[in-house]
Amino acid sequence: MIKTENLKKIYTTEEVETTALNDVNFEVEEGEFVSIMGPSGCGKSTLLNLLGMLDNPSDGQYFFLDHEVSKYSERQRANLRKENIGFVFQSFNLIDELTVYENIELPLLYLKVSSSERKKRVNEVLEEMLMIPRKKHFPQQLSGGQQQRVAVARALVARPKLILADEPTGNLDSTHGDEVLKLLAELHGAGTTIVMVTHSPTYAEYGQRCVHLFDGQIISENMNGKFHV
Amino acid sequence: MLRHNLLIIYRNFKRNKSSFFINLIGLSTGLACTLLIYLWVNDELNFDKFHKKGNQLFQVILQFQNAGTIEATPGPLAETLAAEMPEVEYATPVFDPAVLGKPTLSVKDKNIKANFLYVGKDYFNIFSFNLIEGNANQVLADKNSIVISEELAMKLFNTTKNIIGKTLEVKHQFFEGTFQVSGIFKRVPSNSSLQFDFVLPYMVVNEKIPSFSDWKNNNPYTYVILNQSANIKQFNDKIAGLIKRKCGDSSRTLFLRPYADKYLYGSYKNGVQVGGRIEYVKLFSIIAIFILVIACINFMNLSTAKASRRIKEIGMKKALGAGRKSLIIQYMGESILMAFLSLIIAILLVELFLPQFNEITGKHLRLNFKISVLLSVLCITLFTGLVSGSYPALYLSGFNPVTVLKGKLNTSIGELWARKGLVIFQFIISVILIVSALVVYKQIEFIQTKKLGYDKDNIIYFDKEGRVAENLDAFLSEVKNIPGIVNASSSAYTIIGSHGKTPDVSWEGKKPNNKISFGMHHINYDFIDMHDIEMKEGRTYAKDFGSDNSKIIFNEAAIKIMGFKDPIGKVINLWGENRQIIGVTKDFYYESLHESVKPLLFILAPPFQNLKIMVKIKAGTEKETIDKLRKFHEKYNPGYVLEYKFLDEDYQALYESEDRVAVLSRYFAGIAILISCLGLFGLAAFTAQKRQKEIGIRKVLGSSALRIVYLLSSDFTKIVLASMLISLPVSYFITKHWLDGFAYRIDLKLWYFIGAALITLFIAWVTVGIQAVKAAMANPVESLRYE
Repeated sequence: MIKTENLKKIYTTEEVETTALNDVNFEVEEGEFVSIMGPSGCGKSTLLNLLGMLDNPSDGQYFFLDHEVSKYSERQRANLRKENIGFVFQSFNLIDELTVYENIELPLLYLKVSSSERKKRVNEVLEEMLMIPRKKHFPQQLSGGQQQRVAVARALVARPKLILADEPTGNLDSTHGDEVLKLLAELHGAGTTIVMVTHSPTYAEYGQRCVHLFDGQIISENMNGKFHV
Repeated sequence: MLRHNLLIIYRNFKRNKSSFFINLIGLSTGLACTLLIYLWVNDELNFDKFHKKGNQLFQVILQFQNAGTIEATPGPLAETLAAEMPEVEYATPVFDPAVLGKPTLSVKDKNIKANFLYVGKDYFNIFSFNLIEGNANQVLADKNSIVISEELAMKLFNTTKNIIGKTLEVKHQFFEGTFQVSGIFKRVPSNSSLQFDFVLPYMVVNEKIPSFSDWKNNNPYTYVILNQSANIKQFNDKIAGLIKRKCGDSSRTLFLRPYADKYLYGSYKNGVQVGGRIEYVKLFSIIAIFILVIACINFMNLSTAKASRRIKEIGMKKALGAGRKSLIIQYMGESILMAFLSLIIAILLVELFLPQFNEITGKHLRLNFKISVLLSVLCITLFTGLVSGSYPALYLSGFNPVTVLKGKLNTSIGELWARKGLVIFQFIISVILIVSALVVYKQIEFIQTKKLGYDKDNIIYFDKEGRVAENLDAFLSEVKNIPGIVNASSSAYTIIGSHGKTPDVSWEGKKPNNKISFGMHHINYDFIDMHDIEMKEGRTYAKDFGSDNSKIIFNEAAIKIMGFKDPIGKVINLWGENRQIIGVTKDFYYESLHESVKPLLFILAPPFQNLKIMVKIKAGTEKETIDKLRKFHEKYNPGYVLEYKFLDEDYQALYESEDRVAVLSRYFAGIAILISCLGLFGLAAFTAQKRQKEIGIRKVLGSSALRIVYLLSSDFTKIVLASMLISLPVSYFITKHWLDGFAYRIDLKLWYFIGAALITLFIAWVTVGIQAVKAAMANPVESLRYE
């Protein structure tokens, strides 16, 4: 599903040039759950952003569903993204002006899903997430865990092939964190591919595979609990 | 998606109430101004445009060689054009005898004064003044016919039914006659240059005044309808030399001007069109656009300044696959919706202020919703929405989702400058308007208070008619005996304005190529004295010196042009007759101050040439003296109505346009600065809020409240000062250009500019200061705890 070859990302300001990712070769098969770990600033989020096509690499190639997308325009990337990828962020990124229901409905609007179908799918997801009683609430009226559940609901309502989760438990206490991870595991169980960035070794173990990044490079991977250097 | 966008817009308005109201007030005020100006401009542009054959309708203009361009043409011109030029479908002379005064119309014991025109028989075939009774081909065929307006019919006969064929009596300066009503027309629209209550056949005046049939004189205006295939250029070539062919005079040529241009493009210089009222139409259209743009800038600045509050929404939407286009549509939709909300308020404001606006502009504008008006209003509103939303939409939709999802908003120097640049632009326009309003005000004040060299106060004038015309001298001496009347005289025209010129003055030493024209006044005894015109040398006309009929008086400018060192006693020749100079008046400003004082001559005119009676009244006794005069006139001149005017009203009329510009520029300058400051207020509030933590820390570290106020105000002060660098020179050039149109004008003093700068700076300081003081006085603990 995902394959990168010598992926590079360099940030340039007037004074300094920072290499955030350096020659990253990385693959994810359809249906996999991959965790990415590493210290702060090692390039985890940058990698996730490139995988999510929120940004273009400086060099190297990125194959998504066999399309080489590294030179795609913003419009092409947006089209691929909305059809195939769901995002979960550490800071939830729910839109304050929209209710729970409307936040979850948003991806379907961009996919031009009919109104009756939207209603059906949003209600299904709300039910799954046990959020029906909260559907008319605004994000500020929810707890952190509830907000992240809405964010996960929003990520999966469009039935994406891939969910990218950037430290989804970073802003949550352990009870709520566990809850979210269980949700992701269930989604994985249902066949969704998941790539998750996390600081927590415990949560990383939910993945079938854990990729370790350091200074913009993959330094190790462990699969099924075994290290491969 | 539409529902979603509307929902977001609604909740955003709710969340940012202060920005919402600042935008609403700014945009609705801007839109209201623009709508008022649009109504005025629309009315001006549609002036004289209601004639069905408008695109074939032309006026013949007369051009003097090396001199002016006038509308008066030789009397026989219309008839000749209709008879000799195959391109001409219809032609009519139109003579407005207003200078001869209003006639009195009498039916039984009713006497009414009304305006009228002498017109050719095809007048109603040429102009689309709706006849409700009578046939356009027939109504003016008979020389005893009269066509009257509905209102006049109501006044005279109390009905408009069955009055065709009824007779009425018309009494005017030179004749009295009985006419038969042959037609009735609907009220002449207010957007018509030709205004009249009734018309008489042109042949009446042609018979009464023989000089009207002479090609050497220029009296009526001439209008033609050309057939559709006529080539205007070729036709102009054909008529250019017509006067020469008819009477051998090569100094006058003719050309056509579209009738629709008469009102807006009325000014000519040596036969070339040089503007007219269209200048004011353009000026106010520009002002309208600028005011609207100032209001749009508020929206742009507040939306982009508050972008940080929306970055999460933008980032997330982009991550979910929203294209830039859909975000642009959303933000544009927001500004367009805002513009339409403002339109509702603007319409209410227009309804509220339309009566005052009509008073200032002298119009009868109404806010109607005809399709054309509706479309224009919708276009203006859409334009407002698009302009307001353009920059925010492009700015907000252009964010990189990765950056904004991290909660970072890197404001580049360019963006900051763009925002500052927009505020600078607002203040440039505001300062230009303030300086302009100030200069126009000072110039008008100068005009009002300038010593004109004659006294126009407490003088009334009225038409000489009836028994007064027969016994002018006796009437004048009796009037002088009425208590409260200081002096009385008569003349062909009033002292104000230029009423005819002649180049036929010769003197010893005059160069043959000297074609200088002299303004002329036909006056009676006491005319110069009653106007307090000072004599530079010699004397005025006086009965003590026997007959002064062959004498002449000049003004200083005339003597200077003739080059006389010792003019009194010198003899000059006027129209082939020798006249001795008996006096020289000091120069006085008899025309508008737009014009320099030109050479002028006074001749003692026989009573029949004196058309107006002038009466000077003792100051403070106007009401009772006029009552006495009216009673005396009623007794002396039965069957005639005393309809008088104050001379200083005529003086005011010279500056009608300037007076309107003065008032309007004051209002618009006020509105521009108000809207600009509204934006500044919003920005200052936002800045204060953004720097809340910094202010808290500074206060904890010992900064005084004053220092905080200074800290917050200094940035805005710099912006306003930067705007001065551009606006002051620009306003200097604009006001100088405007003043150049006056021969007599104020000097542009430095304080006008410094004054405008200080006013603007003061208003800006107050605006920003309110926010700064509020921020500086806040308890620092609150902001730090909040952070």
